Amino acid sequence: MPFTDASSGESVRFEGVGKSYGDVDALVDFDLAVNPGELVTLLGPSGSGKTTALNVLAGFTQATRGRVLIGDREVQGLPPEKRDVGMVFQSYSLFPHLNVFDNIAFPLKLRGVSRKEIAERVEDGLDMIQMGDLGQRMPAELSGGQKQRVAFARAVIFRPPVLLMDEPLAALDLKLRESMQAEIRAYHQRLGCTIVFVTHDQNEALALSDRIAVMGDGKLAQIDTPQAIYDAPQSRYVAEFIGKTNLLEATVAGSDLAIPALELTLPVADLPAHSAKRDGPITLSLRPERIFRVCQGDAEAYPNFEARVEDALFMGDMVQYRLRLPDAQTLIVTERRDTGGARPTRGATVQLGFLPRDLTPIPEPS
Amino acid sequence: MPRIFRHWMLWPALAMLLVFFLMPSVDILRASVMDPELTFRHFERFLERAVYMRVLWHTVEVSFVVAIVCAVIAYPVAYFIVQSPRRVQFLLLLLIFIPLWMSILIRSYAWMVVLGREGVINSLLMGAGLIETPVRMLFTTPAVYVAMIQILLPIQIVTCYSAMSDIDLGLVRAARVLGASPWEATRRVFIPLSLDGTITGMIIVFMLSMGFFITPALLGGRRDLLLANLIEFNVTQLNWGFAAAIALMLLLAAIVGIVVIRLAARLLLRALNGALAR
Amino acid sequence: MKKLTLPYLAGLAAALTLAVAAPAAIAQERTLAVSGSGGIVGEMNTRFFAEPFTAETGIAVERLTSEGSRMAELEAMVNSGRVLWDVMEISASNYPLGVSKGLFEPIDYSKVDPEGLLPPGARAEYGVGAASFSHVLAVRTDQMPEGRMMSSWADFWDVETFPGPRALRNRAEDNLEFALLADGVAEADLYTVLSTEDGLDRAFAKMDEIKPHVTAWWTSGAQSVQLLSDGEVYFGTSYNGRIPPLAQSGLPVEIMWNGGALHTSFVGIPKGTENIEMAHQFIAYRTMNAAQMRQYMAELPYPGFAPGLYDGVAEAVTAIQPTAPANLEAQFSANPEFWGDNLEAIQERWNEWLLE
Repeated sequence: MPFTDASSGESVRFEGVGKSYGDVDALVDFDLAVNPGELVTLLGPSGSGKTTALNVLAGFTQATRGRVLIGDREVQGLPPEKRDVGMVFQSYSLFPHLNVFDNIAFPLKLRGVSRKEIAERVEDGLDMIQMGDLGQRMPAELSGGQKQRVAFARAVIFRPPVLLMDEPLAALDLKLRESMQAEIRAYHQRLGCTIVFVTHDQNEALALSDRIAVMGDGKLAQIDTPQAIYDAPQSRYVAEFIGKTNLLEATVAGSDLAIPALELTLPVADLPAHSAKRDGPITLSLRPERIFRVCQGDAEAYPNFEARVEDALFMGDMVQYRLRLPDAQTLIVTERRDTGGARPTRGATVQLGFLPRDLTPIPEPS
Repeated sequence: MPRIFRHWMLWPALAMLLVFFLMPSVDILRASVMDPELTFRHFERFLERAVYMRVLWHTVEVSFVVAIVCAVIAYPVAYFIVQSPRRVQFLLLLLIFIPLWMSILIRSYAWMVVLGREGVINSLLMGAGLIETPVRMLFTTPAVYVAMIQILLPIQIVTCYSAMSDIDLGLVRAARVLGASPWEATRRVFIPLSLDGTITGMIIVFMLSMGFFITPALLGGRRDLLLANLIEFNVTQLNWGFAAAIALMLLLAAIVGIVVIRLAARLLLRALNGALAR
Repeated sequence: MKKLTLPYLAGLAAALTLAVAAPAAIAQERTLAVSGSGGIVGEMNTRFFAEPFTAETGIAVERLTSEGSRMAELEAMVNSGRVLWDVMEISASNYPLGVSKGLFEPIDYSKVDPEGLLPPGARAEYGVGAASFSHVLAVRTDQMPEGRMMSSWADFWDVETFPGPRALRNRAEDNLEFALLADGVAEADLYTVLSTEDGLDRAFAKMDEIKPHVTAWWTSGAQSVQLLSDGEVYFGTSYNGRIPPLAQSGLPVEIMWNGGALHTSFVGIPKGTENIEMAHQFIAYRTMNAAQMRQYMAELPYPGFAPGLYDGVAEAVTAIQPTAPANLEAQFSANPEFWGDNLEAIQERWNEWLLE
């Protein structure tokens, strides 16, 4: 079946790409290497340059500097239609005057595929997105999820080695978005093409990606696997952008690590092995779910400190506490609801602990 | 009950249509066959005397040519406007609207000044030594075309513009990245999506042309008699029955014309899409 | 505060009603609605007839402009039973039309011309002759060949001697007569000839000769003089009253009275008006007052038939009048009855002929 043939994905590389609009730099010295068949997410807030990067790759925007490669083809300067990439848009961009069948057939027609083959391949495509009998529907008659599936099928029907997805799920509601994420992963595995996926939704990025490229201010902040990005953010920006975290200022002095906000001093040796241990100030990230309540008896087992509960936010399976430390800094802690013991009430003072290895030092920008 | 009657917000519009369009139309129909008693002699006369069918045909011909030429000129103009920055768009539309504020009579007279024997064009050509004697432009069918096109062009431009400005340009980008060259994207996406508005404009221009009579009377030659001129003559002669019959034939021709334009549009759309219709 | 009593209120209301309604009622009684042409003709009618009439009688005149659609409006009013006009101008060609459709009140000549001073042609059953106008040829004298002057319809047809673009009205009426005159038919026989099939063929055959040389077929009086002043044509027909202003503006243009078609237009009373008495009063003033008519025709050469009209009129003014004796002699009287009966059929043939 043609549709399920794994097309071989190609690599995508940005080398020192810059894009300026007048005085505004949308993209600065941007380097990125996506491996063949990989699903990489460009994650960042609006204005971070992720959309510009995608547009440069699609050919809608010409880079001011640098090189863009798909496989070993240099594509900068090529118009979009010469780049052989598929693309799915946030607004779906289905052609309203064409029915589902003709929408999906569109790229094939342009490529001069025979009528017979078009019919076969579009039928397969419709089957894949489980819309086999909806080929004659017009886009206006489809639900949001159906539109997204059609847009996806249209983007991959010509087996492009690279598929670009520009916030494709942003317009869908949460439930549908989650099931579409699973579908996209499944299609990705079947199709084998390289996917560059733009989103501002960190959960989506964490759920979907082989690797996440976090972007900020037109630059690449960090690229790594979701887990590494989460566990070892390489900058304050990444630590704060991905998930929730508590940032604590600390000082290394010889073998001591002082954390004034917690009124604690720990041995530097307790920090994760790979972290730098030079003397001087250091910022530590401590994820909210890594902090736990300790009973009086355990006081010696973990480094612990006191904090006062400001409020508790019920989040279904979790409860999120906002607490106030003695030095007035706020701290966020999340706790599974099935954790034993009575839940502390507002205004109560609690004893909290953590494991020193969960303290992640954030490298200062050089 | 037809669905339309359940939409009470449409009632005022329906009432207006009934009073100001449907009732007069019925009255015209009645006048055409009931003057003074039930008779088809007005229609018989229309069909028997060669002059009426010839004038009808000429009216339809002029209206079609005007509608097509207006569309062909207006389309790229509207495209240019849509592509301009917002503020420039406003300015350009204003420029296009300005002539609409002048009456058709005045604009027709203005064309007499331009096209006349001693008019602007002839004076320029003779002054430049390009011609010895004035070229006859006024009182010819082309003069009627030029003036009618100039008069109706703004309407076509504005309807085209409005259709085009509704098009999501993201669709054109989508077409490009899916493999369409700029021309292919225009042909397969932009033109089909702007076609409806363009056709609407063409129909408006066609309908208005069918009713023209001042411009052909002032600028045309002796053969540029349009059906509206005959209606006018018969009304001044208080020959309501025949005037009504001519008006109905005009209406009939207009409806046929609209159907033809719509069919042509559908064929064009099919050709543009190279549709895989099943 | 003292309570207003009901009778007091009622009295106030009555007083108010009277105050508001009374002048309106009086004004209504003493206003005459006159439908007629706009433009210069309307202006001059107001100045020389309506205003002095009001001054003399206290009857206000409201002038309502209506042009090409006047008869259609009239018929609609008469049929609906709501006649808004008391007096109306009736053009030469509309008179027989309105008569055949029964749209006019008969004129009571005991109120207009009790002594029978108007000429018989002006004493029509449903209208009083108010103005004469001529459909004449106007020529650009600067476009004449050396030492020649166009002086007959035969000359107009003579494109060898008098080359140059020509204009005619786009209507069978006031053209076929000219063609027959050019073809040698005597003025007196025009309508006898036109009444026969052969005569009609003869007129159209003559029109065939001139057709290629007619640049423009005009449809409005304004257009007819525009053609002459723009230099579009050198020789063209028009209404006599439109030529003097053109000449005064400096254009070398002259009327050829010879063979002109003399028409009479009327004032009459729309069928069903309530102000028949006042309407007659106005019509008498409009048609019988020589002093006013002299002033009018000095501005606009559309003279009526008021007794003693030409007494003491300056020669220069007389010379441009269609009914000045010399001009009268040169022209023929158009026959509105003939056209009333035949215009529709002949115009149909005319249109066909134009399309050929």
